[in-house]
Amino acid sequence: MPIETWQEQLRRGSLDLAILLAVASGPRYGLAIIQHLEAFTDLVVTEGTIYPILGRLTREGLLASEWVEGEAPHARKYYRLTRLGTKRLADMTEQWRTFVAKIGRLIAASEGGRA
Amino acid sequence: MILGETGESRLRGYLYVLERSLLLALPREVTKDALREIESHVRERLTAVPSGGDERAVLEQILAELGPPLRVAQAYSAERTIDEAVVTGRVVAMFRAMWHVAVTSVGGFFAALGLFTGYAIGIGFLIVAIAKPLFPDNVGLWMRDGYPIAFGIQFPREGHAVGGNWVILIGLVFGLSALVLTHRGARRFLAWWQNRRRRGAFSSRGAA
Repeated sequence: MPIETWQEQLRRGSLDLAILLAVASGPRYGLAIIQHLEAFTDLVVTEGTIYPILGRLTREGLLASEWVEGEAPHARKYYRLTRLGTKRLADMTEQWRTFVAKIGRLIAASEGGRA
Repeated sequence: MILGETGESRLRGYLYVLERSLLLALPREVTKDALREIESHVRERLTAVPSGGDERAVLEQILAELGPPLRVAQAYSAERTIDEAVVTGRVVAMFRAMWHVAVTSVGGFFAALGLFTGYAIGIGFLIVAIAKPLFPDNVGLWMRDGYPIAFGIQFPREGHAVGGNWVILIGLVFGLSALVLTHRGARRFLAWWQNRRRRGAFSSRGAA
């Protein structure tokens, strides 16, 4: 498998968690979510593909969305975490930390073995 | 930045292509909401750009970062249609999802072809069951030289049709069985496809 494919799998696997984290501190509209992700990660490779994922997370009940008029010359669609989304985010965060810690230990053991 | 007539025309063109592409796979109300959100994204980007710059270059940059309309539509279609089909199992959603799978890859095309064949066989048997009471002499098991050569409907008749009401029973049993089995198989296949796609690669920026 080419390294780019593996990187892409990592990216896709973590995108749902990243989007949920982006709205954890409060509601954000689509572009604000994208800019937040771009500020901290390089997960967004094509902005237009984030919106379908936001739609899916909304259909799954993890996010709720609402159009807000009057804030800007155009309407903005805000997304916020639902109760289910908050619970899922806590689960995903814990699992992510566990996963990273285990892989970290594996890498450390491998490096220790080589030294 | 406020778009001039040329910029507005370019944006309308992008949204038009996106709309036509989305409508192939998504319901009208979902398409309308998606278009509104994408347009809001572009206009939001434009508000951050000071007036007086090169409108064309700015807009092209924003649209390039958004992605080609066909790719954006494909992402919507992939997230929406297969989800809906797997969760609800509704016939329209299933056909939309299979259409998406068929046009996405060669393997998907042949899988979808197989599933459509299953549905067609099921519908064919049901048509035989329905046609038998209406055209009793034209529907049944067709014999030639004492051997069965076909099962179904013939207009005009070119042989001798065997079978009474059991033809209706066979048509119903085989037809419903084929439809149910194909539908279950299609749903399982789409769930597998969806999981594989979520785990799998996604083309990077710049890929159409």
